Amino acid sequence: MQLKMANSEQVSAFKGQDLQTQALREKALLFCVAIAIPSLILILWELTTRMGWIDELFLPSLSGIVSEFLAMVRKGYAGTPLLSHVLGSLRRVFTAFGIGTVVGCLLGLLMGYYKYVRAAFYVVTEILRPIPPLAFITLFILWFGIGEVSKVLIILYAGALIVMLNTMAGVQSCPKDKILAAQTLGANDLAIFLYVILPAALPSIFTGMRVALSVDFGILVAAELLAGDLGIGYIIQDASTFFNVEGLFVGILMIGFFGVVSDFVLRVIASKVVHWQG
Amino acid sequence: MSQSPVRSSIGSLDHYSQPEDSLAEIISLDNVSFGYSRKRLVLQDLDLKIQRGEFLTLLGPSGCGKSTILNLIAGFYKPLLGAVTHGGEEIKGPSARRGVVFQSNALFDWMTVEQNIGFGFRFQSISKYEKQKRVETIIGLVGLRGNERKYPYQLSGGMRQRVAVARSMVVQPEILLMDEPFAAVDVQTREGLQEELLKLHEQVAGAILFVTHSIEEAVFLSDRIVILDRNLGGIAHDIEIHLPGPRYTAMNRVSDEFNQYRTDLYLKMKAIE
Repeated sequence: MQLKMANSEQVSAFKGQDLQTQALREKALLFCVAIAIPSLILILWELTTRMGWIDELFLPSLSGIVSEFLAMVRKGYAGTPLLSHVLGSLRRVFTAFGIGTVVGCLLGLLMGYYKYVRAAFYVVTEILRPIPPLAFITLFILWFGIGEVSKVLIILYAGALIVMLNTMAGVQSCPKDKILAAQTLGANDLAIFLYVILPAALPSIFTGMRVALSVDFGILVAAELLAGDLGIGYIIQDASTFFNVEGLFVGILMIGFFGVVSDFVLRVIASKVVHWQG
Repeated sequence: MSQSPVRSSIGSLDHYSQPEDSLAEIISLDNVSFGYSRKRLVLQDLDLKIQRGEFLTLLGPSGCGKSTILNLIAGFYKPLLGAVTHGGEEIKGPSARRGVVFQSNALFDWMTVEQNIGFGFRFQSISKYEKQKRVETIIGLVGLRGNERKYPYQLSGGMRQRVAVARSMVVQPEILLMDEPFAAVDVQTREGLQEELLKLHEQVAGAILFVTHSIEEAVFLSDRIVILDRNLGGIAHDIEIHLPGPRYTAMNRVSDEFNQYRTDLYLKMKAIE
């Protein structure tokens, strides 16, 4: 059957909007709101500081932060180029995130798949789960020294725990009938694990990875606050000590920036890999 | 293709129990009792034989154990008492010799239509060429041509169920177990699916055990219908259906024979409820 096209006279005679146009309009409006509100905040921010309504010590002007940032780019911070600070921090996060994801995934898959492994780890994970990872930080320094290892390990631990729990939930959420269907098609346990359970768990694994990454950035700053002379966390810590509020803001905003960018990248990867998830 | 000789020579109920006919049986439930707990049985002392190549439908009120029978034959459950056998061997678990189509289609969302249908061949020693040929043939038979590279979420409910049927049928199981496979699609789509299923059944010689609530569906599809009684009553009726061939013609839905069967079954079902 052929669809009848409305002719142009009819189209112009239609009153009101069709649903598609309405949806498009709403989308545009929402986008404007999402952009307008932060812009407004920035303008207010610059206004209040420039007019001297708020003491620069509490809230530095935007332009002050930008010039501090440019100064850091030119001269580095505390004798180290800014890029080294940034790369140092990113290396810590992504080393920990990478290893943590692999470890968390493997444990989560085992715990999700084997009831007895789950039972064996159950009490330990339930006790560890509510404890903020930062509570362990001095303990980690005591055990692994004050250097790079304890910083990476504390981030790794925090992320791995999250990935593990999400992976386990993903494995357990695999619909029973898909497993049964695979069995009736001749699949053995290994094939079911590879072709059914693992792909079914992937969406949860990615969710876990995204949460873990944002937590990892949080732990990073705290770990770097504690000791060392390199990293964005160090900049924040050092700037605070010297009441360099502009420098403090530069550090905070950089963490936010890298957090957003890496989450965006992860989201794009996830949407390609687990494309079947809406 | 014509109907297999075995299917057209199915005799009366008494006929089954005769030992010389045991070659024609593919699935046999002997004195089977089953319950999720020992205190609450779902099936008690049930005897049921399924013939090679026949299309058998189970009808009955909700909770009469239709799906349980299917799950026992699939090997998902084990009987508490009695024996469930396939070709004389006890069924110990799921096997590729017994295909299952679920109401929820149970497709693999991360695989294309082609990959879903070809999944069973991963576990068979079969040449790539042969596999490709068989997958292409069945895709044509169920009317999925042009959708080979699509994913299940890009298909309508009816198309997804076609993929599920094709996936189970392509590996040529000796029996295909279908638990209300078309219950979740609209009426027009369902009728199309039923007709395709009958055509497939002609091409692929295996038996089909079908579970449904719909009397019309049962009459249209089946060679034989078994009505289960409520309250562990076992088999209430065992009826052969003889509709003029080819079975899948739409006229069979409005013929006098069809209506007679339907009325008869309706009254029998009413009597049970």
